[in-house]
Amino acid sequence: MNFNASRNGPSGAIRKAKRVSDVAAMGTPAPNPAFSPTAYSPGYAPTGPPPPYQESFQLDANQDFNTHAPADFGFAGGFPSPMTSPAQISSMLQQPVVQDMAIQYGNQLAAQGKEAVQRELHKFVPVSRLRYYFAVDTRYVIRKLMLIVFPYTHKEWMVKYDQDTPVQPRYDINAPDLYIPSMGYVTYVLLAGFMLGLQHRFSPEQIGIQASSALAYIIFEMLLYLVTLYVTNTSTSLKTLDLLAYSGYKYTVMISSLLAGLLAGRTGYYCGLLYSSCALSYFLVKTLRLQLLSGSQGPEQPSYGFPNPPYAANPYSDAWDKPTPGGTKRRVYFLLFVAITQPLLCWWLTYHLVASPPGEGAGPAR
Amino acid sequence: MLTLWNLFEATLLCLNAVCVLHEERFMQKIGWGANTQTQGFEDQSSMKFQILNLVRSIRTVTKIPLIILNILTIMFKLLLG
Repeated sequence: MNFNASRNGPSGAIRKAKRVSDVAAMGTPAPNPAFSPTAYSPGYAPTGPPPPYQESFQLDANQDFNTHAPADFGFAGGFPSPMTSPAQISSMLQQPVVQDMAIQYGNQLAAQGKEAVQRELHKFVPVSRLRYYFAVDTRYVIRKLMLIVFPYTHKEWMVKYDQDTPVQPRYDINAPDLYIPSMGYVTYVLLAGFMLGLQHRFSPEQIGIQASSALAYIIFEMLLYLVTLYVTNTSTSLKTLDLLAYSGYKYTVMISSLLAGLLAGRTGYYCGLLYSSCALSYFLVKTLRLQLLSGSQGPEQPSYGFPNPPYAANPYSDAWDKPTPGGTKRRVYFLLFVAITQPLLCWWLTYHLVASPPGEGAGPAR
Repeated sequence: MLTLWNLFEATLLCLNAVCVLHEERFMQKIGWGANTQTQGFEDQSSMKFQILNLVRSIRTVTKIPLIILNILTIMFKLLLG
């Protein structure tokens, strides 16, 4: 290597000593943590692009803070002295070999970081489970929406299973999905903005307020359901995401009642709300009854013919012949609780969008 | 209007309320103590047991993070009203 210590850094006394041992030090690119920040900045700026393949090491910075331990630093032979000056490192980094290595190291770090993030994320949000809920297609969405609006003629409510795992929503209309709830949420926020605009109550912050309000209600409702399930010690086969999916179906109710309110004023809104709440309650009761109560026969007869038998884990509850074995009655009550709170929440989240003060005349929601 | 900030404040206050219930000075006097020997296995499914269990676990888990969250929230409210 060609040592050309010709670079003039303005940091104090500039010595043009040569350091032969620094060649071997390229294998240890870790900088010495005893950097003094004063040596950092001045050594950098004025150095333009150095002549290629020429090393110009600045040793002044090295000798600045080496006042108390000069003997330790790397001048002893045989010891690959670590790079101790930022200017040295910067000039070293411009070598293509080091750049390749740096790129490789950076890639490695990025891959490790990505893996770590994915692992942590997977602990909180089961991504593979999420993918199940979004495996829908157009036909499923249309049929499901029609089912939510008019569930009275549907006969077969059982979710099909495929070797212990529920079938994807695209193959079974009874399976819960998260696509409709998320689309419903976005549509609700936009529709709320539209309705507010018709009433001259709109401002761009309202979109954010409506969105965060609806999100807060979702979180609150999920917490309420989960705490209720935990406190009453009700064992169900409903997972959290299932519960989220079922409670997200009320967005279709809200949107349809808001549209009815758009078309026909407040009476239209209330009629639409009444009809679609009945339909939603019917739909929820029929669907959740099978999911909640399908395990109620687990502890009573230990036949594992049911596809998801997590209730066999509680075999002692029935041995003492308790009235509510963990329990069917509680599940029924929980079901009714869900079926009643859904329409209430629908009404609560939409009535302030449709409310018309008296005397404002006709027109949609005003 | 229930916004995310209101929800956060409400949960913070509720968690504070749960963590304030002192185990020795209060709960045992009332009979909600968590270390009584009268809890056999039949008690495990009663609602009181579940709630007390929930209270105790919330207290254990959120005692330290609540300190941090409370300090942050207080500073936030002092500065931004």
